[in-house]
Amino acid sequence: MNNSHDPIIKTENLTKVYDTGFRGEQVSALKNLNLEVFPSEIFGYLGPNGSGKTTTIKLLLGLIFPTSGSIQIMGTTDIYSAYIKKNIGYLPEGSYYPDFLKGEEILRFYGQLYGLTGKKLHKRIDEVLELVGMKHARKRMLKGYSKGMRQRIGLAQALISDPQILILDEPTTGLDPIARKEIRDILSRLRDEGKTLLISSHELLEVEMISNRVGILYEGILRVSGTLDELLTSKDRIIEFSNAKNGVVQEIKEKGGEVVDQIKDRVYLKVKSDEELYNAIELGKSVGLQLIKITPRRETLEELFISVIDLAKKERSS
Amino acid sequence: MKSLLDTVKGPWYIAVYTWREGLRRKTLVGFLILSLLVIFGATFMTSFINQATVGDVTTDMDLKLIKDICVTTISIFGILITIFISASVVPTEIENRVIYTVLSKPVRRFQYLFGKFLGIQLIIIMNLCLMGGLFFIALYIKQQILPTLLLWSVFLTYFEFLIVSALTFAVACASSSSVLPTIAGLFIYITGSLTEYLKDVYNRSGQTGEWLDSLIGYIAYILWNVLPNLQRFSLKTQIINSQPNDPPTDVLIPQLVIYGLIYAVCGYILAYWIFRKREV
Repeated sequence: MNNSHDPIIKTENLTKVYDTGFRGEQVSALKNLNLEVFPSEIFGYLGPNGSGKTTTIKLLLGLIFPTSGSIQIMGTTDIYSAYIKKNIGYLPEGSYYPDFLKGEEILRFYGQLYGLTGKKLHKRIDEVLELVGMKHARKRMLKGYSKGMRQRIGLAQALISDPQILILDEPTTGLDPIARKEIRDILSRLRDEGKTLLISSHELLEVEMISNRVGILYEGILRVSGTLDELLTSKDRIIEFSNAKNGVVQEIKEKGGEVVDQIKDRVYLKVKSDEELYNAIELGKSVGLQLIKITPRRETLEELFISVIDLAKKERSS
Repeated sequence: MKSLLDTVKGPWYIAVYTWREGLRRKTLVGFLILSLLVIFGATFMTSFINQATVGDVTTDMDLKLIKDICVTTISIFGILITIFISASVVPTEIENRVIYTVLSKPVRRFQYLFGKFLGIQLIIIMNLCLMGGLFFIALYIKQQILPTLLLWSVFLTYFEFLIVSALTFAVACASSSSVLPTIAGLFIYITGSLTEYLKDVYNRSGQTGEWLDSLIGYIAYILWNVLPNLQRFSLKTQIINSQPNDPPTDVLIPQLVIYGLIYAVCGYILAYWIFRKREV
């Protein structure tokens, strides 16, 4: 049905317009979205609040309906079919599970909705609890769970049918660093097992650490999309000098140099072009510094994100 | 056969989940405890007071009063529980986003709604059984006669609640909060309880010969035929005035059951029609 080079999720000119109020006012939540997610990758779906991320996810899950455009999942446009739904696991943002149920009861309920019963269901519950590291708490009621444990049980319910695709909305938001690391490790492991993950998140550092590809959405428009290597290229370089004496940083700044850091007698200058590099080396020599090394510096996802949003804002205002 | 079984299994799991969750709703439990206290107080406590203060004064009037209080309690608290649960189940799931995780599974919307509706009915039946059961025991202790008439009354009351529940549920499927459906549920119950008067309006219309008079009569006649007549399900007068083991009179039980089911099916179809394209 689907070979590994074809996108497992594909949208073409996907548009969603919401009717708001009685006066026929409309809000475009998504404008001609062309999104491609490939098998066995983690796709980081980024954007500020209200950019259309959750709308996209709801459209993919059939919770809301597109105004125009098409969605293809695993090679079919019948995204409402049981076959497709069995192959999608979903973890909503801030999902609620009733406190009176035990961890394994939650999983049993969701497993039953997939048609799993008896030993098969029991075995699968064991497997997903093991995977998310929650076997020890299976008999405990959810009211005794920490936030991280709830998130892990949420992840377990998304995995109960052993789906090909996982759609996760803010999976690490509100978690402490240890819980984040644990969730991140689980997600990386799932990717290595061949699952495809679409992760919507604000946590840029988290996404950068685990994603193969990212897309940045702003005001319903997909502004950039590609692999991290494609998107995070930069001509920036950092020049490291030694032998810095008191007042030298001020002197460099006055002469137009961009100092990014100073540690003891080391000074770090950032340059964006070959010409700036030559000038900075000359500048360093002129104030008595000794060149140690020049290292290329890759842009961070956060910097890319901010520059993309800034550019979009400028385009809108012009 | 297997696919039919699979189609039914999903709603059943959702129904059980809804029922279990419903049992933990504080408002619902509060109504139930209050109603049981009223029934218990009206039956056991009054007999204690009678013995202590009134002595051998005839207890016939007391018994009628007790029956009146208990039947009214079952009716009032039962309908409040019915309206509250029917109005809140779907909006609450939308509010706390549980609906996302359920509808993203291989569960069709009609299955989801059917499961929810079934769960609501389980809660209503359980409440009726508890309230009716306590009244049944109390009556039996007082009169030493099996109050079979009460069982028929509880049975018919369920179908009365079923109608209100189905129509309230339909309104709830269009709403994102439970306030509007609760108001609608109360309106449906009050209107349904007054439908009998529409027939009087129709019977008295046309006497003046004016067109407005005839029009009102005509509208009253249509409404009388369309709106559910909840008074038809009431055995209150008979319970109060007859022997506890008398058979129900003046009611055709099979017809009333079908009558209730028709309105319930209409309510469910309306709910599905509203919900099938609803964006959640």
